[in-house]
Amino acid sequence: MRLTTVAWRNVWRNKRRSIVILVSIMVGVIATVLMDTLSRGMIFQILDNQIRSHVSHLQIHRKGFRDNPVIQATIPDADRVEDALKNVRGIASSTPRVLTYGLISSATNSSGIFLLGVDHDREKNVTTINKSLLAGEYLSGKPNEAVIGEALAEKLGVGLGDRIVAMASAVDGHVGSDVFRIVGLFETFSSEFDKSTIYIPLASAQSMLTIGDRVSEFALIMSDLERLPAIQKSLKEQLGDGYEVFTYGEILPLLLAQIDMYDQSMFIFYGIIGIALIFGIINTMLMSVFERIHEFGVLKAIGMPDSRLLMMVLLEALHLGIIGTALGFAIGYALYLPLSHTGLDLRMFSDGLRSFGVGAIIYPVLTWGSVVNALFIIPFVSVIGALYPAMRAARLTPVSAIRHV
Amino acid sequence: MNLLLKLGWRNIWRNKRRSIITISAVTFAVMLSIAMRGIQLGTYEVNIRHVVELFSGYLQIQTEGYQKNPSLQKSFSVTDSLRTLLESDSRIVAYTSRVVGDGLVSFRDNSQGAFILGIEPDNERRVSKLATRVASGHFLDAGDLDQIVVGYKLLENLKATLGDEVVVLAQGFDGSLGNLKFTIAGTIKTGTDALDRNAVFMTLDAAQELLVLYGRVNLVAIRLNDLPDIPDVQEPLRGRLESKKLAVLAWNEVMPDLEQGIKLDNISGILMLGILIIVVAFGITNTVLMSVTERFREFGIVLSIGMPQRRLALLVITETLIIVLIGLLAGNILAYAINSYIVSHPIEFTGEYAEMYAEYGFLPRIESTVRLSSFFNTTLSMLAISILAAVYPILKVLKLEPLKGIRHT
Amino acid sequence: MEQKLIRVENLEKLYQDNGVPVRALHDISLSIGQGEFSAIAGPSGSGKTTLLNLIGALDKPTNGAIFFEGEDLSSKTKKELSSLRLHRLGFVFQAYNLIPVLSALENVEFAMMLLGIPDRERNRRAMATMEELGIAELAHKRPNQMSGGQQQRAAVARAIVTNPSVVLADEPTANLDSVTAHGLIELMERMNKEKNITFIFSSHDQQVLEHARRILVLKDGTLVDEINK
Repeated sequence: MRLTTVAWRNVWRNKRRSIVILVSIMVGVIATVLMDTLSRGMIFQILDNQIRSHVSHLQIHRKGFRDNPVIQATIPDADRVEDALKNVRGIASSTPRVLTYGLISSATNSSGIFLLGVDHDREKNVTTINKSLLAGEYLSGKPNEAVIGEALAEKLGVGLGDRIVAMASAVDGHVGSDVFRIVGLFETFSSEFDKSTIYIPLASAQSMLTIGDRVSEFALIMSDLERLPAIQKSLKEQLGDGYEVFTYGEILPLLLAQIDMYDQSMFIFYGIIGIALIFGIINTMLMSVFERIHEFGVLKAIGMPDSRLLMMVLLEALHLGIIGTALGFAIGYALYLPLSHTGLDLRMFSDGLRSFGVGAIIYPVLTWGSVVNALFIIPFVSVIGALYPAMRAARLTPVSAIRHV
Repeated sequence: MNLLLKLGWRNIWRNKRRSIITISAVTFAVMLSIAMRGIQLGTYEVNIRHVVELFSGYLQIQTEGYQKNPSLQKSFSVTDSLRTLLESDSRIVAYTSRVVGDGLVSFRDNSQGAFILGIEPDNERRVSKLATRVASGHFLDAGDLDQIVVGYKLLENLKATLGDEVVVLAQGFDGSLGNLKFTIAGTIKTGTDALDRNAVFMTLDAAQELLVLYGRVNLVAIRLNDLPDIPDVQEPLRGRLESKKLAVLAWNEVMPDLEQGIKLDNISGILMLGILIIVVAFGITNTVLMSVTERFREFGIVLSIGMPQRRLALLVITETLIIVLIGLLAGNILAYAINSYIVSHPIEFTGEYAEMYAEYGFLPRIESTVRLSSFFNTTLSMLAISILAAVYPILKVLKLEPLKGIRHT
Repeated sequence: MEQKLIRVENLEKLYQDNGVPVRALHDISLSIGQGEFSAIAGPSGSGKTTLLNLIGALDKPTNGAIFFEGEDLSSKTKKELSSLRLHRLGFVFQAYNLIPVLSALENVEFAMMLLGIPDRERNRRAMATMEELGIAELAHKRPNQMSGGQQQRAAVARAIVTNPSVVLADEPTANLDSVTAHGLIELMERMNKEKNITFIFSSHDQQVLEHARRILVLKDGTLVDEINK
């Protein structure tokens, strides 16, 4: 007969009491798991949306472009980049872009924008813009077509088929401009993006800004995300000094920092719930120990070492902690699964959510971090809570304990 | 009734350790909840006030429909009667007119997008705190028709310095493109990325000339004494201005994103605290349950001699309430201490987190509040949930047969 | 015929002991009049406690009827029985009679408090009764500071202070030594004579039973004998 078996049976001597503690642990775990997965899901979605709608996994520019995105800072040798890309494994797709700040105007209004000249064919393998169209069509390659966000179209008071003028500083300093016809309206998860971006054909952008056949940027999507650091390193080596190669993490450091901070605060929250549960565990174990003083006295009298008595009480608490956590996690997981398919509809916060860059439906995300947090913190806390009662039990003197009524 | 209280009180202290542990649990949960709510609510308030006083104003008067679809067409004149109306409400501390437009600003070969803001320097100083955010150079004064103040990041990106001459290009009300030359008089650093990167402040007159507005403006920003004044001023003003097709918007209507972001955070905060309180409630259930089962024999005897069952249940409820109330009192006092400390010593943080907060328009500070609502709501919830927690043990008491109790070991 | 205080007719009590039906009482009929000092005697397991519990409105019979002051107890709800116990009956149990957190005086006052009797009068009556029973000096002592005999006296004081019609005592002396036991029974006898309170007690102690003026003998759940003095 092992100590754990004895501990297990002792837990069930007072069924009611043990069940109440178990349920409290379960409730704590379920609630935290749900909160955790939903919040994490939201942040991941924000990141994912940014990556898929524009940022991609890697961006290549002329060195210094990110800090100062002027049209003059084009990629020194685009062919060299294309060659380098062919030599690296793990890149799923790539696309060249021209980008700069500019102004677009309609008959009635104008707006500052982010001008994107894209190779329509390759762009659609890298971003999801072609799938985000609300009306009209994606770029077809014909010159002077434009696709803008629906929100922007509304602001400018234009619709499909209307013409707008795009203006930006050309390479020699004069303001280049051209007329474009709106062929498509898109909507992404970010209202910011929708209000401030216009897609035009690469060739049209190059001619308007008089940069010949040069481009500002290459955006890449990986087929195997694990290889991202290796690919970045390889490209940097191949391209050398005149270029900069950034991962999405380096382009969106704030988002990554936010994910980090979120991890920390979730850990703290688990800790707080753990502390709240400790009080209950201490009380439960104290009661269970005090009920058995006489019995402990007998055990000690017949020669059970103090340390084993201590261990037995700790094991009892550990049992409670582990079962409560396991059951709680199982139920939490069972609730998480359907939710991960259907998502949680937070429509009433849709404006705020879209300004963060995420849609109104949040899909919870379960990471190993969450699992570890959930499965280890509470049992750990149970043992801590049982320390004081266990030590009391261990310190009893056999004679006085036996006399205890 | 008195004896019930005396009995209940003494019963609690029969098991000192258990009662103290339970009271501590309640204190912990209450203190943490109130402190966190205080911090959440205090931080919101400070942030709202910051944004409102930095730039947006407590209220804004705009043409109807401007908020949804801003354009130069939706502009209006600030008539004398409007001025009189605004000046007649003593709660309106100050007001100022603004023009808003998009354009390009170029310096040599460099162009950047420009968020054009035409302001009245003197009035603006009374309504917003923009002038206090000057990073270099100086802010605009009335009459500085050919000067602009730009966001500090904009200056960097233009590769310009103070005193340089730049060209601002924009499309006017009549659709024509116009440009004007300006000298950069200063830069500002607001902490709001949108402004720091693209704002170009010029005098109202200059903006109206550039955008061909013929004296019209896009909005009037209003300063009040404090946030609670908003509904009191907004309602009557709205009524009076409706006929002129002018809308009166409060900060949350001007920045719905901010309000919803706050609401979302608020709800997640409340949820977390709710979880905390529920977990502690189970602890209360267990404690009351244990104290009741220990006394089954005593209860049996007392029921035998004729104590009404309900009275006995009331005794147990009283004991539960005493424990919870002590915990509530201690928790409230500790939380008050924490919150008032933070109110007078807000916690600043720097580095990555500070930047992240700025990105979303929040101040990198932890503030708090000692407004009654944070104490009141938590206390009420704890009380309600504790009583619920005691239901199961109390049901046991109500169903106890005197004989079963007496025979209980 | 004068109305008897308590009348029991064809009483039967069955209960389940781990699934096995046990017949605690079988076909008991008896009556008890006002002012009696009577005992229920018999070996353990004979049904003494069960009978006392039934008479004391603490339990309901399986068959048969119990009449208290002419009223049929079977027609009463639990609440009514509880109220009956409070107003008309007094109890002294074998042990653990008193509430541990109350003083002796407060314990004696307890039932009066439940009856709504005001502060001062409660106090007066309680002290008076305690003096009669010779335990006045224990007024502010807690049960764990009193001996077994003292605790039982306090229990008697609580039982009679409300002027009940009947006091039921289940083996009140079982945990006491013979001298203290004797003293307790004599005390109860005195209360019976001075205040005309009916006492029904159970015991298996011969010495204690000697004091009873009437003894009902139970064996295996049936009434086998009746001794009148």
